[in-house]
Amino acid sequence: MNCTLFRRTIAAYRIRFLACAIGLVVWGLLLPVIYASFGKSLGDFIKGNPAFAQLANFGGGDLFTLSGSIALGFIHPITLLLMGIFAVGFSTVAVAGERQRGTLEVLLARPISRRSMYVTLFVAGAAFLGVLLALELASNVVASYAVGVGSELRPETVPILWLNGWLLFVAFLSIGLAASVSFDRLAPALGITLTVVLISYLLNVVSSLWPDARWIANYSLFNYVEAKSTLEGNFHPLDMVLLLVVSAVAIAYAWIEFPRRDIAAPS
Amino acid sequence: MAPGGPPPRRQVGHSLADAIVTDGLSKTYGRGRQLPLRPQAPIRALDGLSISVREGEVFGFLGPNGAGKSTTIRLLLGFLHPTAGQASILGRDAVTDSLEIRKHVGYLPGGIALYDSMTGEGILDYLAALYGESVPLREELVERLELSPADLRRPVRDYSRGMRQKIGIIQAIQHDPELLILDEPTEGLDPLMQRAFYEVLDERRKAGRTVFFSSHVLSEVERVCDRVAIIRAGKLVALSDVEELLTRRRRHVEIRYTGEPPALEGVAGITDVRVREGLVTAQLEGDVRPFLAAIRDAQVMDLLIEPARLEEAFLEFYSDQPAGPGAGSSTGAPGSSDAAADSSSGGTAA
Repeated sequence: MNCTLFRRTIAAYRIRFLACAIGLVVWGLLLPVIYASFGKSLGDFIKGNPAFAQLANFGGGDLFTLSGSIALGFIHPITLLLMGIFAVGFSTVAVAGERQRGTLEVLLARPISRRSMYVTLFVAGAAFLGVLLALELASNVVASYAVGVGSELRPETVPILWLNGWLLFVAFLSIGLAASVSFDRLAPALGITLTVVLISYLLNVVSSLWPDARWIANYSLFNYVEAKSTLEGNFHPLDMVLLLVVSAVAIAYAWIEFPRRDIAAPS
Repeated sequence: MAPGGPPPRRQVGHSLADAIVTDGLSKTYGRGRQLPLRPQAPIRALDGLSISVREGEVFGFLGPNGAGKSTTIRLLLGFLHPTAGQASILGRDAVTDSLEIRKHVGYLPGGIALYDSMTGEGILDYLAALYGESVPLREELVERLELSPADLRRPVRDYSRGMRQKIGIIQAIQHDPELLILDEPTEGLDPLMQRAFYEVLDERRKAGRTVFFSSHVLSEVERVCDRVAIIRAGKLVALSDVEELLTRRRRHVEIRYTGEPPALEGVAGITDVRVREGLVTAQLEGDVRPFLAAIRDAQVMDLLIEPARLEEAFLEFYSDQPAGPGAGSSTGAPGSSDAAADSSSGGTAA
């Protein structure tokens, strides 16, 4: 871990971080408000029209309960987009982007090992993701109490959901960094990581909307964050273990691969 | 060096120790994993390079684009892993002690890329902080390369090519490293700044620092380097003192005379003698004294000995001949014989 590089990384991403933080806070405030305003009437409508019930179950979230609303926010494309800026964008640019720009060799001409660089970037990325997710969940909690539905929330489950969600995005971060250390150009690293994230997301959404395809959810990393269930007190520790294993495999790969790679002249 | 222990700060400038030694250093690209549908033939970028760079000297590393200069530098700095051979820098192994080596090296990459959003000062501070050392030469370098405080406070994206190069030079030298590795250092600098840079290099040499200098600007190599290595297609074709290389170059000689023409046939170092009315032309190689002795009694009206240029030596090595250690000697190129012997034996040329 290199403190100078860490500080520089934080400084370089501060504007993007601030923009994502504002977006997630606003989004986090919005969902309990929507639930408090329309959730009950929407629930009544769905009860009267069972054909819509399954379609309303987007990614394991809904708008008919507070936990469902928070879960919906958690799995919504807006969250994915804002978190993806760091889980995918930051991670892939971190090495392959520097390599393509030509700044990697200036950095590695200093007495900083590749593994130290990797650890520093990983810690910075994980910290960004952790804080962003915490801000979204904190906004959920604040808004829930502000609109008078806070009593429906079990506050002790929120940190567990945070940890579970953080591990999901850290898994994507690890995959992104593994791809980033493997390529000399940004495009393949970004392409591979985005493919993993989007296919995983698609599998989860399709399986949640289509009961016959429920089994494909097992192949989606999003399936291992059951936000609604966790907020209702039904937490599965194995989900976190699986996400940890995915991260560990990607980290181990990068740990071995990065020092072995040749860093040729920038194209 | 003992692993884990503090690196011994070596006394430089007063010994003839080697700052850089490469022994049969080779690099082949494309030998690793291959995509099954797009197999690529391996490319031998560097082939058995054996050179040594003495502490306290300015060493020129010459070759056109693609000859293997940057590959060599990248191998020395640990960016690339050698396919064969080994290299040591400041007495440490370039592969296993790379981190330790980089504490004592300043590096200027060719066509340096900088963080556009940062200011010049911010970049210099950041890159110095990564060394964790003070920057005793920063102020002097900033002054000599004529970067004003206002320039340093501007974002790098607003910099011209020359200003970026100045920042590149300062970041490589500001912490006063024992060894400077510079890849095309004067690229983008105007003639005045080039001169200022040469003076900086000269001072580094006087301070006992070693400079490994890659370039294809032959005039600057001739001007600032003590010794020069020339590589072609990844192979060393010459390694010599610049002075010696030039002395051993053939120079064109013209003598205008009255009376009897001077007798130059058989004079040591003189070839290709042509006598016309009042004018003798010849080629002079090596020591000039036998030639001067031979014309001592002639009635010389005018004498012209064209200065030897590194460019001619360089072009001779790059004429259409097979690359390799024997290439230079096959044409009788001066300075090539030692390189050929060193290279073929796999030993270290000095």
